[in-house]
Amino acid sequence: MAQDYLSPLWISLRTVLTATCITFFMGIAAARWMARYSGRLKSVVDGLFILPMVLPPTVVGFGLLLLFGSHGALGKLLLSIGATVVFSWWATVIAAVVMAFPLMYMTAKGAFEQVEPNIQDAARTLGASEWRVFWTVTLPLAWPGVAAGTVLALARTLGEFGATLMLAGNIPGRTATIPVAIYFAIQAGDNRQALVLVAIVLVFSFSALIAIGYWKGRAPKTRGFLNN
Amino acid sequence: MLKARIKRALPGFDLDVEFELNRELLAVLGPSGSGKTMTLQCIAGLTRPDEGRIELNGKVLFDSASGINLPPQRRKVGFVFQNYALFPHMTVSENVAYSIRHLTSSEVTEKVERLLNIMNVSPLAGRYPKQLSAGQQQRVAIARALAPDPEVLLLDEPFSALDSQLKERLELELLALQREYRGSMLLVTHDLAEGYKLGSQIAIYQAGHIAQCDTKQKVFAQPVNRTVARLTGVRNLMDGTVSRIESPYVWVHISAWNAQLKVLTSQGSHLALNQRVVVGIRPEYVELKESDGENVFSSRILQSVEGISSVTYRFHVDADQQAKHYINAAISKSSAICVKDGQTCLLYLPPEHLIVIPE
Repeated sequence: MAQDYLSPLWISLRTVLTATCITFFMGIAAARWMARYSGRLKSVVDGLFILPMVLPPTVVGFGLLLLFGSHGALGKLLLSIGATVVFSWWATVIAAVVMAFPLMYMTAKGAFEQVEPNIQDAARTLGASEWRVFWTVTLPLAWPGVAAGTVLALARTLGEFGATLMLAGNIPGRTATIPVAIYFAIQAGDNRQALVLVAIVLVFSFSALIAIGYWKGRAPKTRGFLNN
Repeated sequence: MLKARIKRALPGFDLDVEFELNRELLAVLGPSGSGKTMTLQCIAGLTRPDEGRIELNGKVLFDSASGINLPPQRRKVGFVFQNYALFPHMTVSENVAYSIRHLTSSEVTEKVERLLNIMNVSPLAGRYPKQLSAGQQQRVAIARALAPDPEVLLLDEPFSALDSQLKERLELELLALQREYRGSMLLVTHDLAEGYKLGSQIAIYQAGHIAQCDTKQKVFAQPVNRTVARLTGVRNLMDGTVSRIESPYVWVHISAWNAQLKVLTSQGSHLALNQRVVVGIRPEYVELKESDGENVFSSRILQSVEGISSVTYRFHVDADQQAKHYINAAISKSSAICVKDGQTCLLYLPPEHLIVIPE
């Protein structure tokens, strides 16, 4: 009984951590690339990256279902190596990453563009490779913005519902994340499980906010999203 | 030796310059927006010229003809930015050590200490840039740029944000540094006095091209045209024609005053009778006289501004029928002759300080 009650918590935790990690690196890579890219397709690529944020989650979920389904391009490819994504735990991660990516990307890109070009140029004239300039100058100076993007992405993956339901469904103990489990618990009239899960999410989210506030208060004053 | 030929289209004008620089300090003077900073950026590899060739000590940094364009990392060009551009998240010593991490840690420590010592900022090694004053940041920026032993040091308006006392001290330090470092330096400034003090060569920029590039003495003594003269502080310029040549003197007829000016010049052989010329004189060289004579003109004071050691007057020469030519004069307060607004007095333009520029 207790295990059934809490299984959505463990699924969500694993999904949130994995999805946030993937989003963090993908978002930074895309943001860095786009902050320097000035080709003709800039606004098109930018639009594509942000699209999941403005679409209804069910639309994104349906799109992912078509893509990863047994007749979809990626679905067929994965099937040829014997893997199915739809209705598996990885589906919850994929849905969360796609939905959280725009937030991470947008915030990180803004933060990178805020870093003074002269400071990065100074590092270049001092012989630092582009890679070193990024890790030792650009990223540390953009860190408040990047951290804010990570927090936003994390919150988004925790709350992801629509796209997850479309792609991963509601398989208790496998794909039922907290938001999905709460919905189905209430549908089934099990208000008690719903309340337990709601309480857990509330405690978790509120402690995270307090922790961020504490960390923000201690961090040195630098320009950026969180410290404005 | 730095050899540069740079062409680049900019909004409003095209940058098109060519110059050479040995182990000396070239001061690039010119109004803001004349392409000075862009020149530095092209040399450092931060901006790509449209066309040209840049060569540093025999190594080609950029050549549009053969498609060579070394990245800034491989140019060995030191750059001191106008706003210093220190890394705000690193301490002073971390800033200076940023470019030399291939050395052993004891070598790094030794080098950082030596550079901070040269720039007089040793006690600040552990501080962060925002804990430093502008002058201290500037010193650290120079130390940081020198750390990787650059083959040329580019300084973009390095003293523009400093107060005059600090500026004077840093100018002296930079001069001493140049003597010790014995490398090429290129200093961009819009401050005439600063450029003259620091540079041994001066390049005058004007809307994207070099109007004159020579030793500072030559540029200031013999500006090639009216614009260079004005940019180098020759505030009095009069149109005239050569009326008599008798080496080493030349007489110029100033039409507006209907008077002759006697000029001592080494240029006599390049001038011809009746040639149109401009005669110029710096305000500091204009003198007051008590009796009439050669190159002496009766004039009225229109305006006077008292400075610390001299008074700047704006005179109107009486003979000027058009009444639109003025003479600006900075007369030392120790001068025996006192004058007041509206008073008429005698102005003397010494022949040895007059400059003749062929039109």
